[in-house]
Amino acid sequence: MQTELALVVGPGGFVAHPAQLRTYECDGLTGHPVIPGLVVLPTTVDQVAAIVRECARRGVPFVARGAGTGLSGGAQPHPEGVLIVLARMRRIVDVDVVNQRVTVEPGVTNAEISRAVAAHNLYYAPDPSSQIVCSIGGNVAENAGGVHCLKYGFTTNHVLGLEVVTPDGEVVQLGGGVLDTPGYDLRGVFVGSEGTLGIATKITVRVCRTPQAVRTLVAYFSTPAAAGDAVAAITGEGVIPAGVEMMDNLAIQASEADAQAGLELDAGAALIVETDGPAAEVDCEFARVGELCEAAGATGIRVAQNAAERALLWKARKAAFASMGRLSPDYFVQDGVIPRTKLGEVLARVAELSTETGFRVANVFHAGDGNLHPLVLFDAKKGEADDAAEVAARIVDMCVEAGGSITGEHGVGTDKACSMRKMFSESDLEVMLRVRTAFDPQGICNPGKLFPTPRLCGEKPGPYRPHPLEEAGVVERM
Amino acid sequence: MTAIAAAETVRPANLAEARDVLLDNGRARGVLFRGAGTKLDWGTPPHPVDVIVETAGLDRLVAHNAADATATVQAGMPLARLQAELARTGQWLAIDPPHPDATVGGVFAANDSGPRRLRYGSMRDLVIGMTMVTSDGAVARSGGQVIKNVAGYDLAKLLCGSLGTLALVAELVVRLHPLPVSSATVAVHADPTEATRLTVELLGSPLVLSAIEWSGGWLRLRVEGRAAGVEEQVAEVTRLVGLYDRPTEILSGDAEADLWRRTADSHAGTAGETLVRAATLPDHFAEVAAAFEQTCDETGVAGELASSVGLGLHSARLRGDDVAVHTATVGAWRRRVAALGGHVVVRRRIEGLTDPDVIWGPPPPAAGLMRSVKKQFDAAGRCAPGRGVSGM
Repeated sequence: MQTELALVVGPGGFVAHPAQLRTYECDGLTGHPVIPGLVVLPTTVDQVAAIVRECARRGVPFVARGAGTGLSGGAQPHPEGVLIVLARMRRIVDVDVVNQRVTVEPGVTNAEISRAVAAHNLYYAPDPSSQIVCSIGGNVAENAGGVHCLKYGFTTNHVLGLEVVTPDGEVVQLGGGVLDTPGYDLRGVFVGSEGTLGIATKITVRVCRTPQAVRTLVAYFSTPAAAGDAVAAITGEGVIPAGVEMMDNLAIQASEADAQAGLELDAGAALIVETDGPAAEVDCEFARVGELCEAAGATGIRVAQNAAERALLWKARKAAFASMGRLSPDYFVQDGVIPRTKLGEVLARVAELSTETGFRVANVFHAGDGNLHPLVLFDAKKGEADDAAEVAARIVDMCVEAGGSITGEHGVGTDKACSMRKMFSESDLEVMLRVRTAFDPQGICNPGKLFPTPRLCGEKPGPYRPHPLEEAGVVERM
Repeated sequence: MTAIAAAETVRPANLAEARDVLLDNGRARGVLFRGAGTKLDWGTPPHPVDVIVETAGLDRLVAHNAADATATVQAGMPLARLQAELARTGQWLAIDPPHPDATVGGVFAANDSGPRRLRYGSMRDLVIGMTMVTSDGAVARSGGQVIKNVAGYDLAKLLCGSLGTLALVAELVVRLHPLPVSSATVAVHADPTEATRLTVELLGSPLVLSAIEWSGGWLRLRVEGRAAGVEEQVAEVTRLVGLYDRPTEILSGDAEADLWRRTADSHAGTAGETLVRAATLPDHFAEVAAAFEQTCDETGVAGELASSVGLGLHSARLRGDDVAVHTATVGAWRRRVAALGGHVVVRRRIEGLTDPDVIWGPPPPAAGLMRSVKKQFDAAGRCAPGRGVSGM
């Protein structure tokens, strides 16, 4: 097989040396490295199709990889499989300023799309924290979110068309530059399918007009729960800010050490709220946000007076993750979602859990859409990893119990495949697998991801849990 | 439609009943799902079916979490009734399709939308969770109750617009929006060329419009939000429009509401008409309109065009009852729209217009995959047989 693939991609597009293969042993989820069988780096859709056809012919598994920033192991290699790295496919194929559409290859980074249209006052709205390095192909696979998706939607709301290499090596177009292409919305189910339905080789996205006005404030609260109540008040009032981000005291301290944005170090929580849009609209909303924060018990409010101050606040927010190393040698990043009205309640329970187990938990997350990112701090050298992982897992259980989700943006991948049964019944999963089978009857496209398998999760589906619909008395056991 | 009329009608009152109806002792009978029946003539006429499953018994608002701006609603609930419920807390499901009696499930299954899709998206973008029942009796749920969630495949995308050919949609969880406090519409007399130019200018401006619609020689621009915001934006829209020196009016209140109801209806057509839907890039509207006029001149059909210019979605109503003339009109306009990179499908159709090639045009590039999906979801081919794209 090496010979065939080397012919397809040429000597520069091929990695088989054990030491070099190690570069690709994991993505952003680093705990379970796997050395891929082979790595290929195609530069054209024809090469991708030829590689996939060769895999299909031999029944060899393949995994697509973008920039490798994913946090759920979606690009974890297969030990006997081919890792197809799309990083060399980085052309911006078409920019249509008038119709606000951009077509790119999968290796183009998220931020490059915005850069390509910035001169026309346009930008690509989904903005995951890793946007400077993460690739749009990976964004499509994971249905990436970000700070501003509360108002502007997720990757799935911005991708109009895809050129896809299917798991049998055929090249097909899903959706397109115009709306409502006839037939089933396969593009819609492809986005967020975590690389299990094929490989996107060309992506058409819509880009948005930059807003006329942007205003940002940071409000301080004595506890994360109080800040959570402020978020619920803002949402309940009908204000849809461009973003609402929360940092608790640990996150503030970590961030300040690096970003030095002048956040109040003794605050229990900081809420960064941004509104954008037409100027007069923004003035009304922004004033109301301030009032609601005060009513919810804000101990102080600082309004960014100019673009530089706003940039500093966002720098503080984005630094919080990276700065966590200052507080702890190791940490797990958790990703779960709860209804926004439950923020206060669930954050209080997370705090209790932290006290009870002795593990510090830092919270820095997208509060506006209820997407928690608790960081469980631990020291691997002291053998704390397993217990810390257990704490992280219990937080996700809390999210599901509160009516939320096991993942808001990091994806299921290998990390949470076994947690899927916490949210979905066997019947739900069986019907999802029908889509998988329709696209990939051989099961060679990123196998072992997203779905719980006996190999990953044990032979039996665990103790019977009533489906949420059964609990509600809507359906009988089925 | 006689085959449909002859079929047995059932009306499940809950999910378990819906499942039992579909399982129906494995006789592999054809089924058609029906909400309010406002869009039964969309798609290809299905092959004769034995059972019509009406969703009218599944018409409850299961939960409305106002503070969280989400709601769980059964598919058979009329959209107007849902909106009235939600309005009590100042919210709405941000969709304004024609057909006031249409059900939530029907709007979803057809992915129908209205003028304000420009701002809020379509049902596809507003549904965050779904419960479905397949023709082999599997009850499956996807998504969830929260607005942000990437766990599992987003099956709702697949079912949205599937015209009931994959499974029964029983329940939807939707994201809600605050009802706008204030609204105003600027209408300007403009031919398609001027309307296109203005639309491009507006899309490139920082103005946030809820709708950009053209019909009957007028371009209508809707602004929504808080009072001060609307006032400011209307002033700016009026200034831009003023540069064209055309008759202009500003509408609000009942006159505005009435205008938008009629605008939505202009995309729906009425019985005895063929309604043809074209999609292009927004800046191609002038060409689309010219192509339509030319086509009507050639075939002699009486036609009328309405366009969601900002979205690039155009609806043509063809009058008269000559199937050959309608067929020729669809074909000729389709060729011209395709040359612009767009596509054309027939929605509503007159009696006798049944050819899948005329209704859908050429098979989509992913037709093979679509067939595989259909086979996986509905192996026996029982759900609305033949109604889907290219007669799927």
